[in-house]
Amino acid sequence: MAPLNQSTDVNSPTADEANDRLHKNYEGDDRVYDELVDGHGRIRPHWRTFLAGLATMSDAEIAKAWTSAERLVRDYGVTYNVHGDPSGEDRPWRLDPIPLVIAPAEWRQLEEGLIQRARLLNAILADLYGEQRLLTEGALPPALVFGNNQFLRPVHGIEVPKGIYLHFLAIDLARGPDGRWWVLSDRTQAPVGAGYALENRVIMARTLPELFRDCRVERLAAFFQTFRDDLIGMIASDDPRIVIHSPGPTAETYFEHAYLARYLGLPLVEAADLTVRDQRVFLKTLTGLQPVHMIWRRVEAENYDPLSLQSGGLNGIPGIVEALRAGQVTIVNALGSGLMECDALMNFLPNLSRKLLDEDLMLPQTATWWCGSEDGRSFVLGNMDKLVIRPTFASRSIMQDMPAQVIGANLDADARADLAERIGRHGEDFIGQDLVTLSTAPGWQDGQLQPQPIALRVYLAAHGDSYRVMPGGLTRTSEHPDAQAVFMRQGEASKDTWILTDGPMTAFSRLSQAEQRQAPKRGGQDVPSRAADNLFWLGRYAERMEGGVRLLRALLMRIVGDYADDDATVRAALLDLMVDHGHLAKPTAKRVGGRGSDMSERDLSFLVFDPEAINGIGTLVSNLRRTAASVRERLSGDSWRILQDLQSRIEGYRQQSNHEVDATLHLLSQALRMLAALSGMQMENMTRGFGWRLLDMGRRLERARLLAKLIEGLAGRGGPAEGTALNILLQLADSSITYQTRYLADPQAFLVIDLLLIDDTNPRSVVFQLDRLTDHLAALPRAAEQAGLSDEQQQLNRLQAKIDLADLKELGQAVDRRRERKALIELMAAVESDLGAISDAVTRHYFSHAEPLGRSGPIWLGSAP
Amino acid sequence: MRYDVSHVTEFDYSQPVSISHHLLHLTPRACTFQISHQSRLVIDPAPAVNQAGSDYFGNPTTFIVVQAPHEKLTIRARSLIDVAPVTPPEPAATMPWDQVAAAVRADSSKPMLDIAQFMFVSPFTKAGDEVEDYARESFAPGRPVLDAARDLTKRIFNDFTYDGSATDVSTPVDEAMRLKRGVCQDFAHLQIACLRKLGLPARYVSGYLLTHPPEGKEKLTGADASHAWLSVWCPGHGWVDLDPTNDLIPGDEHITLAWGRDYGDVSPVNGVMVGGGEHEVKVAVDVRPLQSSRQNGRG
Repeated sequence: MAPLNQSTDVNSPTADEANDRLHKNYEGDDRVYDELVDGHGRIRPHWRTFLAGLATMSDAEIAKAWTSAERLVRDYGVTYNVHGDPSGEDRPWRLDPIPLVIAPAEWRQLEEGLIQRARLLNAILADLYGEQRLLTEGALPPALVFGNNQFLRPVHGIEVPKGIYLHFLAIDLARGPDGRWWVLSDRTQAPVGAGYALENRVIMARTLPELFRDCRVERLAAFFQTFRDDLIGMIASDDPRIVIHSPGPTAETYFEHAYLARYLGLPLVEAADLTVRDQRVFLKTLTGLQPVHMIWRRVEAENYDPLSLQSGGLNGIPGIVEALRAGQVTIVNALGSGLMECDALMNFLPNLSRKLLDEDLMLPQTATWWCGSEDGRSFVLGNMDKLVIRPTFASRSIMQDMPAQVIGANLDADARADLAERIGRHGEDFIGQDLVTLSTAPGWQDGQLQPQPIALRVYLAAHGDSYRVMPGGLTRTSEHPDAQAVFMRQGEASKDTWILTDGPMTAFSRLSQAEQRQAPKRGGQDVPSRAADNLFWLGRYAERMEGGVRLLRALLMRIVGDYADDDATVRAALLDLMVDHGHLAKPTAKRVGGRGSDMSERDLSFLVFDPEAINGIGTLVSNLRRTAASVRERLSGDSWRILQDLQSRIEGYRQQSNHEVDATLHLLSQALRMLAALSGMQMENMTRGFGWRLLDMGRRLERARLLAKLIEGLAGRGGPAEGTALNILLQLADSSITYQTRYLADPQAFLVIDLLLIDDTNPRSVVFQLDRLTDHLAALPRAAEQAGLSDEQQQLNRLQAKIDLADLKELGQAVDRRRERKALIELMAAVESDLGAISDAVTRHYFSHAEPLGRSGPIWLGSAP
Repeated sequence: MRYDVSHVTEFDYSQPVSISHHLLHLTPRACTFQISHQSRLVIDPAPAVNQAGSDYFGNPTTFIVVQAPHEKLTIRARSLIDVAPVTPPEPAATMPWDQVAAAVRADSSKPMLDIAQFMFVSPFTKAGDEVEDYARESFAPGRPVLDAARDLTKRIFNDFTYDGSATDVSTPVDEAMRLKRGVCQDFAHLQIACLRKLGLPARYVSGYLLTHPPEGKEKLTGADASHAWLSVWCPGHGWVDLDPTNDLIPGDEHITLAWGRDYGDVSPVNGVMVGGGEHEVKVAVDVRPLQSSRQNGRG
């Protein structure tokens, strides 16, 4: 094969030299196929352009490119949530900067085999969920269907549009020593990784732009655009709505769900966002129920409908199977498609291919023996030390106290005898598979290219009556040189996959295509109620955290800073406020607060991270992060990064062994700056859809509530320390400068009250917040049948009237015998409780769709009378 | 024997339910020994969707959705059913169980496929080695299948205590095995798990049992309950019912509602609601024989 591209002179001595520099120690294992060099140590032709291009970069340039790639991974927040931990624990995605390069002719041949395989898998599903002739004619053993919990009886017989069960599937491949690609497994349920592949591509194209261009790499965008268009094309409605259904932020691959939703411009939903009424599926949005015609699910099928498909928990969408049966919704991939992930079926595919397609199966596949057949069982028992042994159905572990798969050769005599006995008794439950040898491809290790084992996951989408292959894939690699295919499922790092083209390049970007098709739209109307709820709380938590940080800072400065000699009553008032706001628990405040400047480091850390406090700073930051995670696809990358940073700084500080006052104050100032940046992002970068309004409503409501509490706590009382208290109040409300420029004097109560309560030009006044709330409520959608003002609007109007009618003089001056400003205290208490009622009314009105599910039945007889 | 069966399920919710979906298996299926003359379902409040159908196993189902807010839901089922007495095969004359296990695997004809449905582990019948060991005590090689299965039924009856408070819907078979306690559903699942461990087809039967008041007492209204038992496949005869709760082969005092792989496939009332808070459920079952008969049993 000739070099594909001569844009770089590969024969020039400098190029050779540089080439040599990159791979002088590159030595493949003779027993495996190497992607880069052939059996004679020559560079394979399709790698030459890439290698030559790479060679023109100096070590420093390469290092810089890699650093930039790593930074991009972090910046895009590409993560893989290993433990499914909602509070963090996301593992950054690992991207090896050397792509896997595949020649065009080879790819075309592979494509043919992949498409055939996808057609075959789809045809098998069509039979098993229909006539089941494969079973009655003996082509497949019933055990592999009826014994598989992925065979979903409630959807049997439900027709799927155009006979497509598999709309989007993945096939795992490895290249054998013979140079051919072998199928390792089929992923037909809700295959993971296409979004990561896309993200890898975006990062690589930015990291190595010239190389990427010179290599003439097939683009991925057209594949996804066509997939989306094909899905839309299947919907009869004029206003088709497709949603991506994710288990939510706790899912391992939530990043991918959010990424694909953004990339394809489809709403990302969770089960609770969908409801079935009149056997049709709806999305619960702020504007009411919107019909959903198609669901691209990233969720396992067996728990999809708590009514028909499972017997335990409450995940899923009740009634969706009935909606399917009524032909009102299409689920992608069809429920029950996971059946084809069972490796034991592979053995039967060559025969099924001839039977169903009248074609020989093109792609070779990992040799697999099912112990449910006599032949398979005796082979596996006779060759245990050459095989890996697995449960037939992935959901069962191989033995009660054994891992999910075992390599026969690694078993000691007892374990082997035990396993053999078990296979003899319950053969159906076991398969044996050949140990697969992976090919190696160059990876970047210690500043040079090193051969590393790889496996390739490729993606296919249904198109017409056939399939299209994504020209690329997710290559997974391991630095461990003898990684066997069986362990590649938890591959350590990934690579971009470059399919070279020898034809004309299509200049295709998703945006340009979309522009041709669509009229300009104004977004933000399709906000699911759950997302609205989360956005509202995101706003509230952000504001609550800011308030907490300001209070804590003020308190610390009073205790140990320059103002430490201030009146103890001010300190007490601040501590009371901290307790009142839940930033401190009462016992902590008592214990720590009394000590004043004698406070120890331990006390200090208690102040910041009081584990007893419901709104402690540590708790607030994780609430903030968790709430943000659940609406991540609606936040800009920058906002997300700020939140990550904020949490990791606070967490980092918490884990430090000693906490000094200066460092603590520094941390609090940093936190304030980040929160300000977050708020700025939201003001400047979010479109003014309903989502933004809810977020801002949460902020305004919380800010007004905090202000009322602060005014009550710090201006509600006269006395000798009044000046200090008012100063602190102004600082906490971030209005000191305004006051000073306006009045050039020490604070006076009624002027401060005017500025923080009534002044509608001060963005930190109560009235200002209420005005914004009024605007938002007026702009939110209302049910058509509702006349007049909503509950929350009426309550808000009444609250505003209360403040309008209050006499400022009375509020500011009337200090009674107990030195209290009674009118002010009463008004602030009213503001607080009215705001609580308004928040409840908003919740009832807009988020009530997000109510929890309950189960009525099943009934265990023991519990019946 | 003719029966008038009434089955009333009443849900009382502490908070309004905005929407509830229920899948009902409350209409008796027709089978060779049973005719359902009349079966009515009355649901209050009236459901917006009320769809009759049948499930994968051929049981009649009703899918109902109440879409208006409600704090109470009442489902009344009433059926008039004739049950014919069945003569079970002579246990000792049935095929050896190991031959049955081999035969059902060798045959892929359509009728046999319908039986093969019931050979494999299902969600409620997962069990470990202990259960298999327990089962094998009754199944010496070559023992006639019904003879062995009947023996297992007797052992479960003797070894286990009927206890309405020991288990609930989430108790796995292994746990009931350790407790040696449970209700009819646990015993049926246990015996099914045992039989399937040995490669024998076994299916779960949901239905009713005629109960008799203690000597000299009036039968109380609503005192009956749903019941559950199982069937084992005996080639040459078909499915033969076994009731491990009462240690007997059911005759004409067992009324069949539905069958499936386990309780999860055929639970009489299975529902999911949005909202509702805590709820109370009341179930009242009356099995009225329209001709008299005598037999004692527990549900």
